[in-house]
Amino acid sequence: MILTGVLLAVLGLGLVGWFAARARARLLYKGRGSMHSMPTYHGWHMALWILVPALLAWGVWQAIMPGLVNGAVFADPAAATLPTDPMTLGAVMSEAYNLAADPSAAAFNPEAQAMVEPIRAAQTRFGLIGAALVLVVAIAGGGYGFTRIRPDFRARTQVERAVLAVLLIASLMAILTTFGIVASLLFEAGLFFKDVSPIAFLTGTHWSPASTSGTDISDNFGAVPLFWGTIYIGAIIAMIVAIPLGLMSAIYLTQYAAPAARKWLKPMLEILAGIPTVVYGYFAALTVAPLIRDFAAGIGMENPSTESALAAGLVMGVMIIPFVSSMADDALAAVPRAMSDGSLALGSTRSETIKKVLLPAALPGIVAGVMLAISRAIGETMIVVMAAGAAARLSANPFDTMTTVTYQIVQMLTGDQEFNSPKTLSAFALGLVLFVVTLILNIVALRVVKRFREAYE
Amino acid sequence: MSKSDWNSPEAVKRLAKRHAAERRFKAIGLGAIVLSLAFLALLLFIMLRNGLGGLDWTFLSGSDSTDASVAGVWGAAKGSLLTMLVTLLISFPMGVLAAIYLEEFAPRKRWIEWVEVSINNLAAVPSIIFGLLGLAVFINTLNMPRSSPLVGGLTLALMTMPVIVISGRNAIKAVPPSIREAAYGIGASKVQTTFHHVLPLALPGILTGTIIGMARALGETAPLLMIGMRAFIATPPDSLTAPSSVLPMQIFLWSDEIDKAFVQNTSAAIIVLLVFLLAMNGIAIYLRNKFEVRW
Repeated sequence: MILTGVLLAVLGLGLVGWFAARARARLLYKGRGSMHSMPTYHGWHMALWILVPALLAWGVWQAIMPGLVNGAVFADPAAATLPTDPMTLGAVMSEAYNLAADPSAAAFNPEAQAMVEPIRAAQTRFGLIGAALVLVVAIAGGGYGFTRIRPDFRARTQVERAVLAVLLIASLMAILTTFGIVASLLFEAGLFFKDVSPIAFLTGTHWSPASTSGTDISDNFGAVPLFWGTIYIGAIIAMIVAIPLGLMSAIYLTQYAAPAARKWLKPMLEILAGIPTVVYGYFAALTVAPLIRDFAAGIGMENPSTESALAAGLVMGVMIIPFVSSMADDALAAVPRAMSDGSLALGSTRSETIKKVLLPAALPGIVAGVMLAISRAIGETMIVVMAAGAAARLSANPFDTMTTVTYQIVQMLTGDQEFNSPKTLSAFALGLVLFVVTLILNIVALRVVKRFREAYE
Repeated sequence: MSKSDWNSPEAVKRLAKRHAAERRFKAIGLGAIVLSLAFLALLLFIMLRNGLGGLDWTFLSGSDSTDASVAGVWGAAKGSLLTMLVTLLISFPMGVLAAIYLEEFAPRKRWIEWVEVSINNLAAVPSIIFGLLGLAVFINTLNMPRSSPLVGGLTLALMTMPVIVISGRNAIKAVPPSIREAAYGIGASKVQTTFHHVLPLALPGILTGTIIGMARALGETAPLLMIGMRAFIATPPDSLTAPSSVLPMQIFLWSDEIDKAFVQNTSAAIIVLLVFLLAMNGIAIYLRNKFEVRW
């Protein structure tokens, strides 16, 4: 609490320093060309010298203070009565810390109640020391900054250097995130592969992570049915829907539609891409799946399930339509006008030109777009969670329930079990596979698009 | 070839066939669009039919409940609001600053290429992977509170940032070099040129991209499932660290209820979410039309 107050005080000091330095710099101004930097930059320079060292000191103190408080509390005479068993000790101490932070809470454990006063005392003491330290650093920094205010001081250069450092840190966040994803997936998947052999995982056909039977635990973690379900739903059924509809929409919009119609139809089509996947999932489960079940019963299937690969795949395909359409749109637009003009001039009709000239020329771009669409479809979660089902099976019947990689990740991580069981960790192994596959699809597709653009430039 | 050849019965027949094929092809194209839009219309119609009856004040101001008739959407909406606040506060400044650096200052070096590649890939990584990252880093390593808007917002911020960087770079790229040269010409430094002239001109484009990214984050469910935002929360969250739900998660939870009465709630919540998303996209389109300068 003290440290939060000090943070505000430091910010206030920074503001005061900004105004003070600017005012001082203005006094130094003796006409055009007499100073290197404008007074505002002197203000910023001063404010930086107050804020940056003080915030660093604050952060350091924030990090080491709990250790110091803990040390002081254990040195207190009241700590002599504490239990020695590390487990109970930890429970008592964490309760005592909660009590110290929240006076309204009732003590459950008398030993914890006894520790509250020493904790509060130590927290106040070290809080005050920290506050004093931070303020001293701020004032020292400010003092140094203030002495630098001279007509020939290059305050702007210094401030701009700081700005550039901030920009650089912001752009490194992307690399940090990528690194974080790779590291956390590899680490947790590594723990998983200690128990389960990677080969059994990637080639086994039996998936029942909940069962503990069987001699080798690896036998229960064969992920091939999940990969098949993912490919069947995301890359086959969804694409059978999305490729023709998306491609034909793009052809109509770019080649036939009047500009006014295009102006209205294209944004309407894009609404499909903006609808949250949970809404699609609900729609699939509520409306599409029962229709498909009735249809399956109608063509003589026995006991068709409500959850089917077809329902999930169909709805997913519709979701992907605008994506395929806009990728195809780009690919068609990249084909030079002269090619289709030449074909039209030879007397072919528009549809012949599209089929014989435009589509073959745009094919690499369209294929890349389809690859990106597949990578999006196989990573899609909510639709399959709500409509595809949990049964891991290798089947080519679209009316069967099937499960996917993303469904199983959700399934493994939303139950209530300890974190380090192979069942939970398998989610990270599946995540790693998903990440690698989508990464490869994306990189290849982007490369194809780039080549393709260059070919026509 | 003499002219009469074109009028011979075979030639006329062939031409008629080609023109019929032409009309067929055009009809297929129109049919594809109509079919897609019909699906959209059906989806909206069913949600409106099921949900409109449930949109009343009790629903808009209430929180989750086991009783469908008193369950409401405000608790989840407030959770969404807090989560989006965290997402915006982190991803917008980070995204804009990164876009400025990459577009205006970055040296053409190897590691900058790595930054660009990783941004482009992050934009295409499945959202559930970000949920796994959030679970492994924020909850298991940094011990942040589960189910809280803080963790949800941080996770979604990592997901939204690449979108903002990419749209920001495009907006900055669209500012013509003559603006920069004019600023240099009257003695502005590079940082001054960027922040005083390029950034204000690029801002409408950046804001449009940001709103679209935020709309995507608002509708996102899968990563939040991973960090445990699927608990039953009967009171609106009152802080960034309190357990909370979000709108899409509320939809997901209600859709799982066996009680048929929740169908109306689910559809009504979907209407609320779609209204929010439409409003955000509308603002984005308005901004783009009003402020975007075509150079």
